[in-house]
Amino acid sequence: MDYRLRLAKRMLFNKKGSLIGAVLAVTIGILVIHVNFVIFQGLFDAIVRDISNYRNGDILVTDEADYIDKSDLALVNWFERIPFVQGATPRLSSTAEINMTKNGKLIEETRVPVVGVDPLRDVKASTAHETVAEGTYVLNRNSVVLGNNVATDLGNAQVGDSLKMLIVDRTGEDQIRRFTVAGIVKSPGGQGLDYSVVMHIDTLRDMMGREGETGSFMVKLNDPTKAIEVKEFFLAAYPNDDFIAETIEESAEEQLAGFRSGIAMINLIGYFGMMSSAFAIVTIQMMLVNGKTREIGVMRSIGAKRKDILIIFIFQGMIIGAIGAGVGTAAGLGYTIYAKETNMSFMNSIPLEVNYNWEKIIQTALLSFSLAIIASLYPSYRATKLLPVEAMRTV
Amino acid sequence: MSKIYGYGENQVKALDHASFSIEKGEFVLIVGSSGSGKSTLLNMIGLLDRPTNGKVFIDGVDTTKLTENKISSFRNKKLGFIFQFSNLLTDLTVLENVLLPRQIGGTNGSAEKDARDLLKTVGLEPQLNKRANKISGGQAQRVAIARGLINNPSIVLADEPTGNLDSVTSDNVVQLMKSMAKKLHQTFIIVTHEPEHFGDVDKIITIKDGKAFEGSEQTKKMEVIA
Repeated sequence: MDYRLRLAKRMLFNKKGSLIGAVLAVTIGILVIHVNFVIFQGLFDAIVRDISNYRNGDILVTDEADYIDKSDLALVNWFERIPFVQGATPRLSSTAEINMTKNGKLIEETRVPVVGVDPLRDVKASTAHETVAEGTYVLNRNSVVLGNNVATDLGNAQVGDSLKMLIVDRTGEDQIRRFTVAGIVKSPGGQGLDYSVVMHIDTLRDMMGREGETGSFMVKLNDPTKAIEVKEFFLAAYPNDDFIAETIEESAEEQLAGFRSGIAMINLIGYFGMMSSAFAIVTIQMMLVNGKTREIGVMRSIGAKRKDILIIFIFQGMIIGAIGAGVGTAAGLGYTIYAKETNMSFMNSIPLEVNYNWEKIIQTALLSFSLAIIASLYPSYRATKLLPVEAMRTV
Repeated sequence: MSKIYGYGENQVKALDHASFSIEKGEFVLIVGSSGSGKSTLLNMIGLLDRPTNGKVFIDGVDTTKLTENKISSFRNKKLGFIFQFSNLLTDLTVLENVLLPRQIGGTNGSAEKDARDLLKTVGLEPQLNKRANKISGGQAQRVAIARGLINNPSIVLADEPTGNLDSVTSDNVVQLMKSMAKKLHQTFIIVTHEPEHFGDVDKIITIKDGKAFEGSEQTKKMEVIA
């Protein structure tokens, strides 16, 4: 072993307090990055996951002319022939006025979002049916499923209650029908259809006067990484139609843009935390250099060059960085595993979507290792500036 | 050579045109009262400090012309140091301390064998794996002697090597240095204010008020009277 590395190691390990302090500084810096990533990236990914699962799928197909007039069967069959596709389902959206009488009191709600679904196909492409808290998902053309918030606004509507719905059709005429509440959906974090009324797509088409038309197709993939490939394949297959196909990142961009800049800000704060840990290393290493003034003088007097002294203290920075990066990454991974295994959520809100981003984990470890070395440069440089005669006066 | 510290009114002349020569293999004492400039002189000879004026020649080399890196190599290969407080590196073992000058010089070949032999010579073979702060003051000074000799230097410089030791240990250390000097034919230059501990030596250089002259102060007085 190089004598400079051995000396660096011994000097550091014989000052356990300083070593622990410096390693803790690096560890905390890394842990802050990991915790930030788990919470904020986890929240971002959870929102993307829920938008994909409940509303947009991995690919959302719409039409420049607002409505798709191609048959559901033709498009669903086209998609489901592709091995990457788990399922495809048509959706139609509108708004409605709803009223119902609860305990003798008439309650009215206006501008309630209405989503028309195909009950048979929807379960293959969406997990909205899994959010049913009471009753069942859309059963038939005469029943609706209320989002939890709509049910609350309607005076705590329950399964079996009857309500009246008004939708303005394409000609401007009011279409009023009575429905039975078949179920109530409630999703963790409220990203599902909690603020909507879900009904059979054919009933909604009928009320809107848009027989055979569809608002969008939601396509769910077995392998979401193939989204761009499937999207481009679809657009190439229908070159003469005015279809718009968007991946989840594209279709949810408007909802995610603000969040994305928030994450960037939080990451920046994390990196500032890491910089603070670098300052802690500078302080601790300066103490180490001051505590070893006499030894530095002795080494210089027996022939060590400034370069050798520099290398000894840079080795110390490397040791601190390596141990800190190792402990910090282990602690960060521990927290990530805990968050993933417990489906971590805050106050029963949206469960975080925790992923092991190895690129980010390695990048963070390498960054903190490099910062520890950079932080050791100044104390090392100061150590080289000690004159042997002056240094040895420190006894 | 001269060495002046400070500027203007605060100037202190630590060495004032001190000039002398020492032959190879001589055992030389530098004596003088406290603050006379003995250690300053040793630092100049040891290339730990540079003179304000004048030159230091070692083995025919004008050391004042050497660059800093060359001075470090020169110190490593040509000079051995023994300090008053032994100045061992407490993070290393006895053996590692003795090996250090070799490792710094990058000449590791037979280093460990040589270090073990030297430690055997100074009677510390059983202690070689002990941490340097776990041995007595006398043992530490013997380790320092072994460390000073490991690179087989031309000159061994010792600054008050017995200053921190009791009289029995002092005598042991002095005898050890004298026997090593005889055995290895090396030049020993020792700063001390206790010349009586050293008995017969080849030369004594006295420093007084920064000036150097050969012989003890008593000899000088006798010369003046004559």
